[in-house]
Amino acid sequence: MQFALEALKNILRKPSTQKYPIERVGPPEGFRGRPVWIVEKCVGCGLCARICPVNAIKITGKGREASITYLLDRCIFCAQCVESCNVKAIEIKREFEFAGYDKSEMNYVYDKKRIVENKA
Amino acid sequence: MSGSVIKVVIGPQHPALKEPERFILEIEGEQVVRVTPRIGYVHRGIEKAMENRTYLQNLYLAERICGICSHAHTTCYAQAVENLMNVEAPPRAKYLRTIIAELERIHSHLLWLGIVAHEVGFDTFFMYVWRDREIIMDLLEELSGNRVNYAMNAIGGVRRDINGDKALKILKGLEVIEEEIKKYIPMIQREQTILKRTVGVGYLNSVDAVRYNVVGPMARASGVKRDVRRDDPYAAYDELTFNIVTRNEGDCFSRIMVRVEETLESINIIREALSKLPSGDIRVKVRLAIPPAEAVSRVEAPRGELIHYARSDGSDKPARYKVRAPTLANLTALCNILTGVYLADVPVILAGIDPCFSCMDRMQIIDLEKREKKFWTLEDLRRYAREWYQKH
Amino acid sequence: MVSETLIYLAQLLVFPGFLFVIILAFFAEWAARKITGRIQSRLGPSYTGYRGILQPLADFIKLLSKEDITPTTADKLFFSITPVMYFSLPLAAFSLIPITGEEALVYFEGDLIFLTFIFTVITSLVFLGGFSSGSIFSIVGGLRAATQLLGYEIPLVFSLLYPAIPAGSFSLTRIVEWQQQNSTWTIWAQPIGFGILITCMLAELELTPFDTPEAETEIVAGWSTEFSGARLALIRLGKNLELLLASSLISALYLGGHGQFWILPPVIVSLMKMFTVFFLMVFLKVIFARFRIDQILAGMWKYLIPLAIIQFLIVKIIWGL
Repeated sequence: MQFALEALKNILRKPSTQKYPIERVGPPEGFRGRPVWIVEKCVGCGLCARICPVNAIKITGKGREASITYLLDRCIFCAQCVESCNVKAIEIKREFEFAGYDKSEMNYVYDKKRIVENKA
Repeated sequence: MSGSVIKVVIGPQHPALKEPERFILEIEGEQVVRVTPRIGYVHRGIEKAMENRTYLQNLYLAERICGICSHAHTTCYAQAVENLMNVEAPPRAKYLRTIIAELERIHSHLLWLGIVAHEVGFDTFFMYVWRDREIIMDLLEELSGNRVNYAMNAIGGVRRDINGDKALKILKGLEVIEEEIKKYIPMIQREQTILKRTVGVGYLNSVDAVRYNVVGPMARASGVKRDVRRDDPYAAYDELTFNIVTRNEGDCFSRIMVRVEETLESINIIREALSKLPSGDIRVKVRLAIPPAEAVSRVEAPRGELIHYARSDGSDKPARYKVRAPTLANLTALCNILTGVYLADVPVILAGIDPCFSCMDRMQIIDLEKREKKFWTLEDLRRYAREWYQKH
Repeated sequence: MVSETLIYLAQLLVFPGFLFVIILAFFAEWAARKITGRIQSRLGPSYTGYRGILQPLADFIKLLSKEDITPTTADKLFFSITPVMYFSLPLAAFSLIPITGEEALVYFEGDLIFLTFIFTVITSLVFLGGFSSGSIFSIVGGLRAATQLLGYEIPLVFSLLYPAIPAGSFSLTRIVEWQQQNSTWTIWAQPIGFGILITCMLAELELTPFDTPEAETEIVAGWSTEFSGARLALIRLGKNLELLLASSLISALYLGGHGQFWILPPVIVSLMKMFTVFFLMVFLKVIFARFRIDQILAGMWKYLIPLAIIQFLIVKIIWGL
């Protein structure tokens, strides 16, 4: 009986469905999305590549001229690279809609000469 | 064998199971006469993978052993490694670990409650409970950055802090959940359709529960008062006061009531922990090359007692790591409960042990020399271990 | 003569015949899904058409375009016949119900008994469909449907036939006429019969709390597990038609059927009553869990049959003999 009353009350309330993707409520502050490198600060120490649990970061070159390739399809979004970087050159972006059709478009390259995204 | 025995395979893919396992039930009419389980479908080679990664990388691997009890696995892992190194996490970190662990327990029990409602055919209740669970998921997303796999633990402490207004948000969310659960308890206790499907179903008395080594809420529902938080306190549990909820009936209904009341207890634990939160660091610095040692750590996951064993050999990778998940302990009891029940009760009983088959790996040893497959039971393992230790 | 036949044919095929009933079935499915969604705090169909009203039609068309697989262990003849009959029987039975005006499209003395017979045949079709599919889940589902039949058959037939006692005739049209003439509804004298009929209809239509033949978590989809493609489309449409048939039958027997109410034409009145009973059954479906098969049988024989006998005695006392 109680349950029937509860059911009737719910017909009149607003449903708790969010009409995604028509309505979007962004992820909250502190959400762990994908990491972004700030190439001006990067010293090319390679800590992030060594520490990554899934080897999603590859570093080519040495020192200040190093360039970083980040493989989005391997990343587990743990933010360990952010913690380990000694010069705070990595930031987290609050994105989560990464689905796509082409894996080769999911790699980001951070280079001092040109900042190119989506090109492996 | 009489001709009227039908074999129903609750196969690897089945709507009653959230994760793949195979149970071959032999039924006569509507009653089950024999159960043959076959497990290992989610075996991913995690223990071997852990030997090839550093301790820091293994933290994230341990988290992904299970999606629902991920924090329990990381807590257990962090504690095991901290024992190896002989460091202790600072008090504030211990309290924060406790808070997140209890939040996870609430979310896991609410998930389970919805699944039991769905097994009984009560979809409306399932929707309501999962709607309330969203409050916890949103809270955890704000605190830790993700709805599952929170990655809050680090070796030596926790990674993120809970400041003033996050604590206020937690308290507000908990108030809503407590009100909803208090509304559901009389509904469950009086709803005839639920009572008829769960009272007296899947009976396990306390003597058998001890004999089959049942852990977690399933043991507590049969009157066995076992809880790692009380017997072997870890994190901040020795400084908090809480009740261990037990019931004596040992059927599916008492398992439901034990878990619902445990949720209310968890809410009180979080409130107490938030009010007593000590100040200080949340992390200590650790060096990750560990001299040879062994450590065992136990944690009360939402499903029962979780054991991790670690052994180091001086490098920065573990030499051996072993995980014993609670569902493995409950599985033998399950097969014994299932004989003699009606086919219609099988999903409810299966759901009653709160199966998390991803947590339990099992070794299947394929002996290439003799070209045979062996399934090892606990007896075989013990025998092998004894012989091995006698030789070495 | 020819024009009369043509008019009759148009009535049979379009209004209030097949086409009208099929469109009504789609509309009813949309309404049921919306109400179920709202009770469960979610939206229900929202995007196809205005507020999702074309969703059942879209599902039907999608299913027609899917591959139709016949299991190798299935009995080919019955596997193909069962969906077609499951769909066409309720559709044909609709012509016995007086929706529009004074008379149904087809009426004869005893058509109420014929309708009772159709309901039993539908359940035996369920059993046949389950058995001919050849998979263990379908067989168990079919067996459960047949076992449930043993429980609810007797109270169902009783409560379907009791309204004939005051009206003095076994024809549905005459029963509705009797209610019109005496400006009364059968339910006032026979509320117990109404309750029994709703309960037994829930069991016949395999809705919770009696949906053991298609218990999703125990036996996948029960008797309809192996059907796919066009056959599944027909089965789903058949289920909706059956639900509508039961609602309109109950509203004609107990709630007075069509009739001039204020300025509303008889069609609208009978549709309103049909949808009232329909929503009542959908609401009952949503708020209950599922019983076990032995509990269903025990409950039906212990409670429903004595209640049916009591109702019979009450009717006899009121109308004498």
